[in-house]
Amino acid sequence: MIAYLLRRLVWGAVTILGVLLFLFWLFVLYAQPEDVARRALGEKAPPEAIAQWLVNHGYDRPAVWNPEAPLDTRLFDHLSRMLRFDFGASDADDAPIAARLRSGIGPTLGVTLPLFAIGLPLSLALALGVAFFRDTYIDRLGVVVCVLAMSVSILLYILGGQFLLGKLLRWFPISGFDPDPGLALRFLALPVFVGVLAGLGSDVRFFRTVFLEETGRDYVRTARAKGAGDARVMLRHVLPNAMIPVLSAVSLTIPFLFTGSLLLESFFGIPGLGSITVEAIQNNDFATLRVMVYLGALLFIAVQVATDVAYTWVDPRVRLE
Amino acid sequence: MVQDPDRFEIVLTEAYPQILFWFAMPFTSPVPWEAIAAYDGQEGRDRFADHPVGTGPFRIAHYAKRSRIALERNPTWWGTEHPEWRAPAAIYPTEGAPGDAEAGLLPPDVVGQPLPFLDRIEMRFEKEAIPSFTKFVQGWYDRSKIPKESFDQAARGGTLSPEMQARGMRLERTVMPGTYYLGFNMRDPVVGHDAGDRGRKLRQAMSLVVDAPEFQRVFLNGRGVTAQSPVPPGLFGYDPDYRNPFRQVDPERARRLLAEAGYPGGVDPATGRPLRISFDTGDPSVQGRLRYEFFVAAWRKLGLDVEIAATSYNQFQDKIRRGAYQLFMWGWIADYPDPENFLFLLWSEMGQTQSGGPNTANFGDPRFDALFLATRDRPNDAERMAGIVAMRDLLETERPWIELFHPEDYALLHGWLSQVKATGLTVPVFKYYAIDPAPRAEARVAWNQPVRWPAWAALAIAFAVVAPAVVTWARERQ
Amino acid sequence: METHVVVNVAIAASVAGLVIGVALLRRSRHTREQLGGIGRRRPVATLALALYFAVAVLDSISWRDGAGAAEPRSIVDRWFPADFAERSYSAPLADVEFYGGAPLAHPGAHWLGTDILGRDVLHLALGGARVALLIGGLTSLLAIPLAILLGVVAGWFGGRIDDTVFFLLSTLASIPSLLLLVALVMVLGTGAVQVCIALAVTSWVSFCRVSRAETLKLRELDYVQAARALGASHARILWRHVVPNLMHLVVITFVLTFSQLVLSEAILSWLGVGIDGSWGQMIDQARDELARDPVIGWNLGAASVALFGLILAVNRVGDAVRDVLDPRTLRELQ
Repeated sequence: MIAYLLRRLVWGAVTILGVLLFLFWLFVLYAQPEDVARRALGEKAPPEAIAQWLVNHGYDRPAVWNPEAPLDTRLFDHLSRMLRFDFGASDADDAPIAARLRSGIGPTLGVTLPLFAIGLPLSLALALGVAFFRDTYIDRLGVVVCVLAMSVSILLYILGGQFLLGKLLRWFPISGFDPDPGLALRFLALPVFVGVLAGLGSDVRFFRTVFLEETGRDYVRTARAKGAGDARVMLRHVLPNAMIPVLSAVSLTIPFLFTGSLLLESFFGIPGLGSITVEAIQNNDFATLRVMVYLGALLFIAVQVATDVAYTWVDPRVRLE
Repeated sequence: MVQDPDRFEIVLTEAYPQILFWFAMPFTSPVPWEAIAAYDGQEGRDRFADHPVGTGPFRIAHYAKRSRIALERNPTWWGTEHPEWRAPAAIYPTEGAPGDAEAGLLPPDVVGQPLPFLDRIEMRFEKEAIPSFTKFVQGWYDRSKIPKESFDQAARGGTLSPEMQARGMRLERTVMPGTYYLGFNMRDPVVGHDAGDRGRKLRQAMSLVVDAPEFQRVFLNGRGVTAQSPVPPGLFGYDPDYRNPFRQVDPERARRLLAEAGYPGGVDPATGRPLRISFDTGDPSVQGRLRYEFFVAAWRKLGLDVEIAATSYNQFQDKIRRGAYQLFMWGWIADYPDPENFLFLLWSEMGQTQSGGPNTANFGDPRFDALFLATRDRPNDAERMAGIVAMRDLLETERPWIELFHPEDYALLHGWLSQVKATGLTVPVFKYYAIDPAPRAEARVAWNQPVRWPAWAALAIAFAVVAPAVVTWARERQ
Repeated sequence: METHVVVNVAIAASVAGLVIGVALLRRSRHTREQLGGIGRRRPVATLALALYFAVAVLDSISWRDGAGAAEPRSIVDRWFPADFAERSYSAPLADVEFYGGAPLAHPGAHWLGTDILGRDVLHLALGGARVALLIGGLTSLLAIPLAILLGVVAGWFGGRIDDTVFFLLSTLASIPSLLLLVALVMVLGTGAVQVCIALAVTSWVSFCRVSRAETLKLRELDYVQAARALGASHARILWRHVVPNLMHLVVITFVLTFSQLVLSEAILSWLGVGIDGSWGQMIDQARDELARDPVIGWNLGAASVALFGLILAVNRVGDAVRDVLDPRTLRELQ
């Protein structure tokens, strides 16, 4: 158990290092810092100002290898600062990135947590329902509806939701955000609704497959033979046993919540991490984008390791592997 | 030179009458140096840019640059603390321009009252067109610019639509002192100075097919004033009756000029192919591209092969700096109301490629330079007018720019917002505004009644779909 | 070289790649029957997919009419009159302009109306198929061969090579794909090729993972062991025995990835870094058009239906492909 945990942790650390090296190559070696500087300083910046900007942002130092001072390189700087969560200043306006991230976490969680807390149980329940009525028209219809739903681009969900529910039917305020939690709930209702709807198709279909696979197993037949009712079999036997594939699927979607909310946030005017990312894209703000990619990967790796640990807790057999 | 703690003196080394305008610009507003020193962005402190401190009637209550800015009444504003001064900028004006009284801008119970009237101003940044205008129409915003997309709903043909009038909304329109134009890079061997008469005729031909009113109609809903020369309306030197002969669409003449330039039918004899010109833009977005396509389509009718080189803004800047561009679209909004602020955009000393100045067309003509320097510092008299007309006539044939339009701003107001006058350049006008909150609250309720039946319909359908299966299952269980 | 020539060559190459892929699959009678099975299971979706493909290919083959013509025109372009444009918006089958009501140059001829520049929406929507094919084709061309090579080599030789490939895999896989995609496009720059490279980097992982895992399995099989014992070289075994036997998994992965690629491009378009002429760009345009009143819906409608139809067809065919080819293995691998 301990050895397994350690192995996972080492794997996580190595992967983080890999991500950091990749980001270094992409944003520091491949991207041209002069472009970034010019973008930040405006079109009228004289060459001296650009040179000064490069010095201020540490772009003048050797990239990988400095014979005089081995630690005074951009690679070392990049690694140590990312690992210490010292993110520095934005390339676009020199504002500290960390402060901006702190201000964005609240609104982002305001979207993603309800999205998760409503979306997951809802799709599990629907999938359970569809699986329960297997071999009836409900199942067939359900699958068709799911495939239809997952063939629609998320952009259309957002546009449609905003246009139909916000503008025409006026169910929700069409966009916006308010730091006051009471008001925020009203504003978050539409993006959460749209987000849940957009994810429902593929989730329900996937969970249905998982449930059906479980219902085909021996223990279900045994339970049935012992006279357990359909509903009881589903809830007491199939659902718990399907938790492992569900868990692994969910763990994969957690980082997607982070990026999925990227579009939702920027479209509904929610000043969260997603909006910050979209802004960084529009402003060619490589420093901020680098941090966002890093944090996204970090989240993914952390969730992966946590899931592996959770497996051993949900299903003791995993430990034997 | 500082004279005493409250006064300083500036000595000019050369005549520069426009400096008076500079003192009306945002960058000369007084700010306390203590605040600049305190908000230095170090050790977790805000930077001054994120935490501005000024001397106005409002102060910043919330500042999130790209989402929300809130202003609240400044209790320590000098105008509030010293109402007895009755300073001109601290009380509501007692007299206005002709027509203001008739327009209800000088109500007797308001005139002479101390400013400001509002306690709090909430400004929201809306990126997307659908939400921003919908929220105005639903009463969540008191004032809104009209995004071009919603224009037909609001104000087709310059007047407010009947539905909007019924809701008590008003329209406010201002022609901005600005000019949008297509520019040629005059250092380019094909379209520029070096091509001599061929280049001039090519530019003239291209200018003759760009239909600016149509562009305004398609992309700006007919907003804006079609430009004939660089100087915009409202500035000295603007002549509303002037018609630039090369800015009236005339494809026949354009074809003739193109043939005279040595490109009959747009074909470059050197290659036997249509003459290729690159149209460099720094806006790769779909919306941007559509606009550029509009011009390209017009030139293609002449047989020219104009190719849009849409790069990131970055790469575009880089091209501009290196002088590696042929054709671009740009705009300039006045910093201050003087024609010098526009004509200097074509002064050779402001050449972009040579000296990094805003003369992005790299236009350099000694005749123009002489006229420019002669009129630059003159008072607005007949002689200055003559100089400006001479420059205009020079630009008419030289065509470094294809002038497009002077932008026009349309804004919508709800009935409960009063004391608003369209102002063009002047920005700080919130202190004159007043709001009547009661009708606003009523309107917000009345305009936001949700339409609920589709929800019931959806639920009913879902029930109808599921019910038979449940019934069957229950029966089988029996 | 001129762009249309490059595109013609690229399209020819990807069509050839597809033909080779199908030919590889058809080498055994078993897979041949399976391929037929897909069409029988999902006739409508298969037909729709074939239609999209045909339009895309026809729209990719273009040439100039003599040297004086400014633009090369494709076969699809030639279905429409040469100057088939209006001044601005017009509704489907309308006789007059949408705003102002001036008579159209081609009254009643625009089945799906015209866009803000007066271009025929049906024509634009058909053109989107080409971009979708380009996304799928060019990306796979860039990603699949390299992914198979690395996956097979890693799975076959194991050891350090495998560790390295696995490290690469898990590193790239741990970056949320949309962020990775955006970061790559930002750094590489906008343009069709750059976007496809970025998509290739993000989608490469699943192909590589599948081929690596399958190679690990194939390595232990009797006939492979026999070939080894007979002294066949590594390259020969991999080429003759391993690669052909994992192609079916690659095909399944491709079909499943394809819809993701096209949907990702739509999001990129939304963020302003997509490919010109894609349905994503048409939808992006529509976010403004929905704010108009009366609403202009035909542009959005045409692009959405075209995109939806393609994704739906791919999803349906993808299901069939997975069911027919190998349901078990792939689920284990994922």
